[in-house]
Amino acid sequence: MDTTNLNETKIIIRTFINSSVNIEGLDDDENLFESGLINSLFAVQLTTFIERKFGIEVGLDDLHIDNLKSVNATAAFVARKSAAPAAASGSQQVASA
Amino acid sequence: MNPFVTDEQSRKYAEFRDFADREVAPFAAGWDREQEIPGGAISRLAQAGYLGGNVPREYGGQGWDAVTFGLLNEALGRADSAYTGVVTVQAMITAPLIKWGSAEQRKRWLPPLAEGSMIGAFALTEPGAGSDLQGLTVEFRANGPDGSMILNGEKKWITSGQRADVFLVFGRLNDKPLACLVPRESEGFEIAPIKDLMGFRAAGLARLRFRDVVIPAANVVGKPGFAISHVAPVGLQYGRISTAWSALGLLRGCFEESTDYAVSRKASGQRLSDLGMIQSLIARMGTDLEAAALLCWAACQAEDKHLPETFTKTFIAKYFTSRAAVRAAGDAVQIRGAAGCHESSPVARYYRGSKIMEIIEGTTQVHEMVLGKSFAHDALRRQRSRKPSPLTQPRDVAAAAG
Repeated sequence: MDTTNLNETKIIIRTFINSSVNIEGLDDDENLFESGLINSLFAVQLTTFIERKFGIEVGLDDLHIDNLKSVNATAAFVARKSAAPAAASGSQQVASA
Repeated sequence: MNPFVTDEQSRKYAEFRDFADREVAPFAAGWDREQEIPGGAISRLAQAGYLGGNVPREYGGQGWDAVTFGLLNEALGRADSAYTGVVTVQAMITAPLIKWGSAEQRKRWLPPLAEGSMIGAFALTEPGAGSDLQGLTVEFRANGPDGSMILNGEKKWITSGQRADVFLVFGRLNDKPLACLVPRESEGFEIAPIKDLMGFRAAGLARLRFRDVVIPAANVVGKPGFAISHVAPVGLQYGRISTAWSALGLLRGCFEESTDYAVSRKASGQRLSDLGMIQSLIARMGTDLEAAALLCWAACQAEDKHLPETFTKTFIAKYFTSRAAVRAAGDAVQIRGAAGCHESSPVARYYRGSKIMEIIEGTTQVHEMVLGKSFAHDALRRQRSRKPSPLTQPRDVAAAAG
């Protein structure tokens, strides 16, 4: 994912988080889970949101606090997951060439 | 019937109602009296495929959408909320496995749970921690290099606990919330029936005690640290959906009993339904029923579209419908008079069971706390983005008139 797309992803994620929790001036590196500002539903709401919005699946292997703890972490996670199918299909093409 | 339900969903609902009318309604009072649902009745639920409604077909389930799952719970809830409880907690254990189970766990546990040869239970509540999920005291302790753990502690008020073959147990491993599958036959695992509830009496509630129960690493669902934030909410979401629709079924049962009675019974030469005081009660009940049905449908529509709003909508549906069921059951008894206070009338059992709906899968107060905070947050967000509103700003009439 290039820089422009990553920034757009951050904006989308930040907008969603702002709509879900009452945090003014959210820093993109702020650890949401340690802030005490989120409720018990936030984690599943965020997971559901990024799955639907970005067409990715958050699975067991993705359950790491580093993946969803902040705006920056979530955007980077989305970028990695979005690139993964493209990388896989690329290697398949190379293998069949 | 909700006009937004599809033809296929309507057809399934008719099937569910037929099943409930044949296999559940004639026996519910007896099960309630005996405080037990016979194994044969659970088997028929399994044979119909109704214990795997939410499980994907690849694991032997029905692969239903959430609305269809809800409609099953409504049909069963109209006949017996305790019987519906079996479906509720089966979904509460399969849903987290579907989302967060490993490939091996899904392959091992989902097929028998989907076909109903294995009954599940969701073991979250403790004697000292009901609404307070952060207050869990059940403890997992590391047991060795193979990753196994030792489990100690107690759970209470566990629906289907008396009959379940496998339990999804929530506790802490070094202060990290953890969820594990615990088979019934595990050494050190004791199950004690809880009897004499005011309602929901045949739901098979149990108290669980774990004394140095060995848990293999392969039984961890999700990962340490994520049990409360990610694993439990997935199960509780289906628990709330099921309970909301079960309460809807109870509400519908109260409404049908009440209106049937009101048009049949006379007082002083008049049908009860011609009396204003009875019309008020059935008007409120019928309107609550319509509203509840739409809220339940909307929650499941959002679930089926995988919208993040589904969680709030499900809270709303469960909150409204369970409270409406309590109101309806009270009014249903009132309309029946003395007969409504006797166990020969289904409304007496509805009355006792309705209160349970306000407590299980999150009490009314927990729902008010969550929704109140959510709505207040929405208001703050509106204020931050709001332009001056013509409703709140005085108009300069003279300037407008030119």
